[in-house]
Amino acid sequence: MGFKDVFLQHPERRYIMFGGGGGVGKTTFSAAAAYWLASHGKKVLVFSVDPQASLTDIFKRDIFGKGPVQIMQNLWAQEIDADKHIRAYQQEIRQKILDMYGLPAVPEEIENYIQAASAEPAMEESAMFDAVVDVVMKGDYDYYIYDLVPLGHALYYLSMAKVYDEWINKVTKLREEMREYEEMVSRIRREKVTEQDQILQELLYIKNRINTSAGILTDKTKTAFFFVVIPEAGVINDTQKAAKLFAQFDVPLSGYLVNRVIPHELLDQNIPEYLRHRIAMQDQNLGGVRAAFGDQVMTLVPEMERDVTGLPMIEKLANIMFA
Amino acid sequence: MTEEEKVSAVKRLWQNICDTVYGMAAHDMSRAALRTRASMEHLFILITMGDLLGIPILPPYYSLRLLPYVVPQIATWKRRMLREKDVADAMF
Repeated sequence: MGFKDVFLQHPERRYIMFGGGGGVGKTTFSAAAAYWLASHGKKVLVFSVDPQASLTDIFKRDIFGKGPVQIMQNLWAQEIDADKHIRAYQQEIRQKILDMYGLPAVPEEIENYIQAASAEPAMEESAMFDAVVDVVMKGDYDYYIYDLVPLGHALYYLSMAKVYDEWINKVTKLREEMREYEEMVSRIRREKVTEQDQILQELLYIKNRINTSAGILTDKTKTAFFFVVIPEAGVINDTQKAAKLFAQFDVPLSGYLVNRVIPHELLDQNIPEYLRHRIAMQDQNLGGVRAAFGDQVMTLVPEMERDVTGLPMIEKLANIMFA
Repeated sequence: MTEEEKVSAVKRLWQNICDTVYGMAAHDMSRAALRTRASMEHLFILITMGDLLGIPILPPYYSLRLLPYVVPQIATWKRRMLREKDVADAMF
């Protein structure tokens, strides 16, 4: 099955993700796939959850932190600014504290906690994935194309989602037990039942958010996850390991795309020995790719003659990918 | 004594009886339940806001959402967590 067939045969797969190590071309492929789908009349949003996002470079438009920006007909691109998201979120928490207790300022101790919490390394990932839930839940587009963070981060988030989920279940249970005691006291004292436990409501909300964001990544009917590899031994090994881990977290793997293959036609020309060696090395590694991933390899994309930036180059790449 | 005063005296008496019975039978129960609940409250704050004591238990993004609700309890919670334990704890 070719790359194009996945889209033709499974129109229900609306969340398209590209994963892979750093620098293999995830963002480029995301942009090209988005371009192809948009030019075939689908409304597409391509967005990046990577703090070092480069959609801005690829589309030659400044889109960082600006919400969905229209690139061409049917095609929107978005780069989420995690820092901005976190700052707004902190402010929301502060405001809530001030409103709830009618305070003129947030107590110092609490303010320190808010500051410290935001410096934690996990904060950014959580903020990103939380922002994604908002983007996807609106459901304004036919296709959502994720330019994912490098492998480690995505795995980290998936495992975190699992831990979070169990944690929330436990905390919710504790909260429910507390509630029982409260009700018991109310009964003994013949008081009216106390008001709803707002914390319990919040916990249920959080649980729902986490399950939604992890659920999108692991939805077997709506999600197609592609690995991008390049014909280099190290990358192939890493991807094989990552694929195993992703499978453990039930990510529906749809196939592998090979990027940066040096065209064989060059061999007919007068090229330096150096390039001949590179081609021989790639041939060997492509053998490795086929051995490792078999018929899940969907397409080989050649090393382009120049950087893929700007719509004409993206179109050229898309036509090769969807040939 | 007017009719009204009589009624309110009877009401007061009844209320006193109720309170006495409650004090004899149920006060300890409800106190114990409240104590248990308070312990759980502190446990809850510990596992959600552990960072405040330097015990990072879980990533903080979502625990910030819970912070506004526990603001008033944080001072007593810290005092309880950080104080030294002694025999009197078991008695009262």
